[in-house]
Amino acid sequence: MNKKLSRTPLLHTLSLSLMLAIGTAQAQTPAEQELLRRVDQLAAELAKLRTELAQLQQQAPTQPSAPAASIAALVEPAPAAQARTVLGGYAELNYNRPNNNGKDAQADLRRLVLGVQHRFDEKTKIVTEIEVEHAVASAGDPGEVAIEQAYVEHQFHPNWALRGGLFLMPMGLLNENHEPTAYYGVERNFVETAIIPSTWREGGIQLVGQLDSGWTLQAGIATGFDLNKWDAASSEGRESPLGAIHQELALARSRDLALFGAANYRGIPGLLLGASVFSGQATHSQQAASSRITLWDLHARWTPGRWDLSALYSRGSISNTAALNMPLVGSDSLIPARFDGAYLQAAYKLWEQGSYVLKPFARWERFNTASRYAELGAGLTPEASDSERVVTLGANFEFAPGVVLKADLQRFRLNKDLNRVNLGLGWSF
Amino acid sequence: MRYRSPSTRSTGYMAALATLLALALQACGGGSSAPETGPGETTDGALSARASLGKQIFHDASLSASGRQSCASCHAAETGNAGPRSTGVTEPGGVALELQGGRTSPSIRYLAGNKAFGFDAEGTPNGGFFWDGRAASLQDQAGKPFFNPKEMANASTEELIARLAKAPYAPAFQQEFGADILRRPADALARMQLALQAFQLEDASLRAFSSKYDEFLRGRITLSEPELRGLALFNAKDKGNCAACHPSARGADGSFPLFTDFSYDALGVPRNTALAQNADPSFYDLGLCAREGGDMAARRDLCGAFKVPSLRNVALRKAFFHNGRFTDLREVLSFYVQRDVAPEKWYPRLPDGSIDKFNDLPVELRGNVNVSEGPYNRRPGQAPALSEAEIDDLLAFLRTLSDAR
Repeated sequence: MNKKLSRTPLLHTLSLSLMLAIGTAQAQTPAEQELLRRVDQLAAELAKLRTELAQLQQQAPTQPSAPAASIAALVEPAPAAQARTVLGGYAELNYNRPNNNGKDAQADLRRLVLGVQHRFDEKTKIVTEIEVEHAVASAGDPGEVAIEQAYVEHQFHPNWALRGGLFLMPMGLLNENHEPTAYYGVERNFVETAIIPSTWREGGIQLVGQLDSGWTLQAGIATGFDLNKWDAASSEGRESPLGAIHQELALARSRDLALFGAANYRGIPGLLLGASVFSGQATHSQQAASSRITLWDLHARWTPGRWDLSALYSRGSISNTAALNMPLVGSDSLIPARFDGAYLQAAYKLWEQGSYVLKPFARWERFNTASRYAELGAGLTPEASDSERVVTLGANFEFAPGVVLKADLQRFRLNKDLNRVNLGLGWSF
Repeated sequence: MRYRSPSTRSTGYMAALATLLALALQACGGGSSAPETGPGETTDGALSARASLGKQIFHDASLSASGRQSCASCHAAETGNAGPRSTGVTEPGGVALELQGGRTSPSIRYLAGNKAFGFDAEGTPNGGFFWDGRAASLQDQAGKPFFNPKEMANASTEELIARLAKAPYAPAFQQEFGADILRRPADALARMQLALQAFQLEDASLRAFSSKYDEFLRGRITLSEPELRGLALFNAKDKGNCAACHPSARGADGSFPLFTDFSYDALGVPRNTALAQNADPSFYDLGLCAREGGDMAARRDLCGAFKVPSLRNVALRKAFFHNGRFTDLREVLSFYVQRDVAPEKWYPRLPDGSIDKFNDLPVELRGNVNVSEGPYNRRPGQAPALSEAEIDDLLAFLRTLSDAR
């Protein structure tokens, strides 16, 4: 992977992201295959730029844009004409079997995502992803079709780019990198599902900077949550407070917009340290009381040798919930004032032969979707929930680049009915 | 890794970006204090000419065969535009106000959000006007009582339009709908219905959203402790569970609650022996499955189901349920929570001593009655879902739903 890079100034821009990717790949993270794919894509773009540079140096007339008809999966560097449009995708097929309630066992094509990236020129590209959940989406079926990403990115400076459109929030370890090949366990972890509502995207503008020092900085302004969607009669809010009120840029209420920021440090090979925050008003002048929702997280990932260790803590808060909950008193799911969760995870590359890689892992999680309620008065204030604790033991088995077979056991401390065995098959390209 | 220093051009980009972000930040999250006028807020604007005609028709007793009954006679403002029940079990009607109706007069407030009858995705009946949803719209509904023999009792459209022609507002009616409109009775009736609908949609008093609860939702006042406790009991699934059919929360679109989901339910309300039609022991008012037109005749599972009314202004009402079996709101709440734990209090005994539960339905249809949702999911001898003190609180809350007068 130690490609010898051109020092040509014109190519220096791309070398930043390429070297970052290589550095991470050398650290042999679990997302290695995914990173390799991205490195290859970058190499393809590099090759294209080399060609264009050669043309410029020969003072040849500038060529018009090549036809964008070639939609091809690029797993190897491709001729420049084919590198402009890249097709990718991932899929996740899961089987869950509760230990004590076999009749509730379920198999599901959880999601299949097709993505298309197109680069208009060396500075500007679009990223799009279309997702189908649960295999069939129709009036009588549970499925859903959604746009997961649709944004334009313009690199206006060697270190800085601007994104506009529908993009994933840069929070936690999983939200922006959520392909099944990129995380351990059949199911995404609870903290980055119930607290950070992956896959969480908003519409807006985002500034992305990659600094010489190893910092990646992201900040912007985006649509936020809609507390008017809170359904106190439904259990959705108890399962994921923010998952119940996100808008996904589908006619999103945007009287009030939100601010977000993230900082990730990758300056030391194999180490990632990061933090993020999101904050915005969420009642959009539809309620008597306004309310601010703030979510933040701290995360770390360290990949020394064969080990892959990660930790994350996230906390959310919703202001003014006393006023908002007053008309909802007595209902099943009142709006919590605070919710949080944390996990620790350790994985180890136990065995590797050819394309076969076996990585057992263990994860401990604690999360609480309603750790505090605002005081409503005697008899009216709901009791805060107890924290659920989950231990997951399992393994990811990669038998081809970008294809993973998963198996794990999950033990719940509070709701033991949820104890289960999970099997999963996923791929990403 | 080494990178070039930012160029002058890039610095320009950065400045532009900073300006853009600064502008955006100013817009972000700021100034969202008091809500702007939105759903639930009303403005007391003047009625259109058409609605003004509708208002005059609504209050015109001369349009009835008796000459003494108008729409307002059965939908009186002081009872939230439900039946005032001044005499008898239901409102009297007929050519000499000599006849008793078969059902109570439902409130006609807050019906703008109602839709034509249909079945939702789960197959649950929903919408429609009248207790059995047989009218598809306010306009459709408005034409029926003129000809009901137990109500305004006009014998024909011609007879009704002849009465209209004598009304002081007849010239205005002709001005609105054409000089020859009164010579075409069928068309004139259709215009009367249009005018009544316009009145119902435009008149602010029929969609006032002026109750104490509305003011509470607007954040302008607080509810008293008993009222708040009552709201909690109203919402709680293991207590009143009223919100299951009478939603109390604002909609996701910011709309104020109407306290009905426009669905239908068979509640097993006891037979009202004061109704003349019930003197015949073989007569049963089967509601949805037996409505005129017979379109639901095959749905025997819907027999006994009646439309869920809005609870707005419920404390102003004089009679409750389709058959007016109860005339006291506290009694209604007691029935809800004691129907199953103490059925002997609400139903007569048969000669063999057993309780004739759900006696306003034929025996073979009593399985249609809702016995699964709270508070009906209990057995004789169990504690009712609400204590007497809790019923007091719930009543306190229900009184907050009365529009300001």
